[in-house]
Amino acid sequence: MLTEEEARRYSRQIALPEIGVEGQLRLAAGRVMVAGLGGLGSIAAYYLAAAGVGYLKLIDRDRVTLENLNRQILHTTFDLERPKPESAAEKVGRLNPHCRIEAVHTTIEEGNAAALLADCAVIFDATDNREARQVLNRASLQRHVPFVFGGISGWEGMASTFIPGSSACFSCLFPPQAETTEPAPPPVLGPIAGIVASIQCLETFRLLIGALPQLAGRLLRFSGLTMEFRTLQIDRNPGCPVCGDPQCYSTP
Amino acid sequence: MNAAIRITVNGLPENVPLSATLAELIILFQEMDRDLIVEHNGRFVFPQGYASTRVAPNDRVEFIHPNFGG
Repeated sequence: MLTEEEARRYSRQIALPEIGVEGQLRLAAGRVMVAGLGGLGSIAAYYLAAAGVGYLKLIDRDRVTLENLNRQILHTTFDLERPKPESAAEKVGRLNPHCRIEAVHTTIEEGNAAALLADCAVIFDATDNREARQVLNRASLQRHVPFVFGGISGWEGMASTFIPGSSACFSCLFPPQAETTEPAPPPVLGPIAGIVASIQCLETFRLLIGALPQLAGRLLRFSGLTMEFRTLQIDRNPGCPVCGDPQCYSTP
Repeated sequence: MNAAIRITVNGLPENVPLSATLAELIILFQEMDRDLIVEHNGRFVFPQGYASTRVAPNDRVEFIHPNFGG
């Protein structure tokens, strides 16, 4: 049951036939792991909380720096040096007190990813490097939790949804490779993060309310230079060393 | 010199050797990004298919670089 306050707060989206009161209750029961609280995570945390997603696990390893503030609109000049999860939890809590927030200041890695994910129904990828995404991908497959990927650089961004055991996985697209040095952070523009993370939010809503994800098996790309969206069909790679290995679906 | 064919690469017309493979085009166009995505006539090609996929006249090839920032 929604309280009168909640019914009013969410009335403009409850009015959508695809959501309605039932969808709103599903959002309220929804549990999302937001991996990364930078440009993508800023949008994710705000929109997911505003829409009434009931529980957010907000994870980041960093503290707020001056270079973050051109795009990471969850954090302000007053938050410099603060751990990002703490800064994020404060803003999101003010936005929507109905949203339960767990702020986790840690690096997502092989050793903790599956445990961090244990109580979540969706992985919202807002990380900023390929290795973290390989880790999230393996946790997604192991825990059977959908993985909503997004990435940006320069004027461009991309997004896709990986459904364990059914659609292509992150490693079908980007096979794991021997460890190499992480490239320097790319140039990034705030609105590109806004566009890509907003698309990821829509996919997350779809997953939470039980609608079919639209980007499973598809890679969506956006260019802010040509103002074009393009999609590419991505099939499962029969040679994928990750999702092609039956052992990846079980807890070690 | 092998016969050349006209194809479209990243939206631009290009002359490439007849029957060139995607693996050869990746080298020719210096697209050796370790996380490159290759689209051939609107289809995603798995890396294991680069060496065996050949282009024909009027084919469209896109070299897509990943966006991994956040």
